[in-house]
Amino acid sequence: MVIEYDKMRSLADRLAQEEVRGRSPWADARRRFFRNKAAMAGLFILICVTLFALLGNYVAVWNNQDLDFSVMGQVRELGRPSLTNGHYFGTDDLGRDLFARTVQGTQISMMVGIVGAGIAMIIGTLYGATAGYVGGRTDQIMMRTVDILMSIPYMFVLILLLVMFGRSMSMLFLGIGLISWLDMSRIVRGQTLSLKNREFIEAARATGVPAWKIILRHIVPNLLGVVAVYATLLVPLMILTESFISFLGLGVQEPLTSWGALISEGAGTMNYGTLWQLAFPLFFFVITLFGFFFVGDGLRDALDPKDR
Amino acid sequence: MFGYILRRLAVAVPTLLLLIVFSFLLMHLAPGGPFTQERALPPQVLANLNAKYGLDDPLWRQIWNYVVGVVVHFDFGPSFVYPDRTVNQLIAAGFPVTLTYGGLAFLIAVVVGVGLGVVAAIRHNSWLDYLAVGISIGAQVLPNFVMAPILVLLFTLTWGLLPGGGWSWGDPKFWIMPVIALSTSYMASIARITRSSMLEVLGSNHIRTARAKGLPEHKVILRHALRPAMLPVISYLGPAFVSMITGSVVVDIYFSTGGIGKAFVDSALNRDYAVMMGVTILVGALTILFNLVVDILYAWIDPKIRY
Repeated sequence: MVIEYDKMRSLADRLAQEEVRGRSPWADARRRFFRNKAAMAGLFILICVTLFALLGNYVAVWNNQDLDFSVMGQVRELGRPSLTNGHYFGTDDLGRDLFARTVQGTQISMMVGIVGAGIAMIIGTLYGATAGYVGGRTDQIMMRTVDILMSIPYMFVLILLLVMFGRSMSMLFLGIGLISWLDMSRIVRGQTLSLKNREFIEAARATGVPAWKIILRHIVPNLLGVVAVYATLLVPLMILTESFISFLGLGVQEPLTSWGALISEGAGTMNYGTLWQLAFPLFFFVITLFGFFFVGDGLRDALDPKDR
Repeated sequence: MFGYILRRLAVAVPTLLLLIVFSFLLMHLAPGGPFTQERALPPQVLANLNAKYGLDDPLWRQIWNYVVGVVVHFDFGPSFVYPDRTVNQLIAAGFPVTLTYGGLAFLIAVVVGVGLGVVAAIRHNSWLDYLAVGISIGAQVLPNFVMAPILVLLFTLTWGLLPGGGWSWGDPKFWIMPVIALSTSYMASIARITRSSMLEVLGSNHIRTARAKGLPEHKVILRHALRPAMLPVISYLGPAFVSMITGSVVVDIYFSTGGIGKAFVDSALNRDYAVMMGVTILVGALTILFNLVVDILYAWIDPKIRY
């Protein structure tokens, strides 16, 4: 076999180049992340579910509110999933198209998850960074408050809030976001404590940068790795919380729907033999949670390789 | 140790008081009173109702009366919707049921979870390990409200082995599905935590020493590895307890077990503030008590904790 010296040389050159260029920790992390099969599968699932939520309405033949009078009363026989009448996922008990309903439920559940995690992320990061940076008695009081809030059964308080102030989407967002920043603030505080004595913070302080600017400009950007990982793991928890509340019928209200509400409906009618009403929402719910957990774990492993 | 317990109590008691006052204020702030209906009541009737339930007193007096009633007399007052029943009666009817299947579920989650985790760690990278890891990953996405319909589908509708709901004190057949539905995902989490902390402990120096001096393996595991490996598990028990209490609401609704969760959701749907607050405070008190026990247990197992 003839060895092609030119090709070998160019390969050697390229390898050497890459060696010289070096790799930043971020590039390293990215490489580890893209090598992680479970994380890539999770990412793929999440992309598919997102596309389903965004584009599903263009594929759907029916919209999510119209009743199909031709299947009404005979949902068990005529409401089955079928390609011919346009009910890809069948219909629900009232004759509404389950495909369109699942698309809508996916949109809402994903939105609650992402917005809830976003609120938790912002409040938790600012709170934790402030407590950690200021330190002293302020830190004591702020973290003691978190301890106290953590020992409250938040789901009950959330339902209390929802009932007393009306069951609306914005209340749900607010409630879920407001109760979930506690863990985040603890993690961020710990990270801030280890950052705050580093030289670049000292330099900023020495040049007279005000405290709030140090927190926003110098501390928060350095926390992003931890915060990103935790936020990714927080999204599925938010989805679980929302689905739990909607399963009880206390969350998202008709005509809106979410995975929890759809699972609850499907579970309620499954002894009439309409299993698809449970199966489709449940399928999307389960694969999305898997996706988020895998991506979150993959991110954590990628950013913190020594833990393995 | 005694001082440590006292200091923990010094945090726990104000927390509980805060929870009571907070939920009372929440009720007060809510738009509309407990007697707001679609058809407005005549003003005289409303005034009489408010007087009967003490809602026309100044706010501080209402709070004071409520706190004193709850703390001193364990009295959560009358229900706003069912005038002939008190919150205490509603709670007393449901609480024993919740406690029974909840306690069983908790016990099973801890015992089976720890067992599974330890076995997986000892047989690291064997099929047993993969099975345990597989189960715990799968169970992560099967929360109680997903488990419950699946269980009913399998055991009641397909195989007809178990009753699909209801509760009977004498017949454990009614207990099986609630306990499984409630415990599965926590069992999985406990197994995962036990496994990883056990693996870490098994690689540490004192285990090598124990093996080097010729102790039999079961003694190494039980006496030297298990205790330090339990610490992360114990700190997970607090959050797990809270989630399980929350999950009992789903079990009560789905299996019609008649526990305390049913009273809670019913009161949430017909805006019976008194019952909601009563259940929330009771659950909060239980949680705080349980966290106290966990803290003490932690300090007892880990001699490094300063108390």
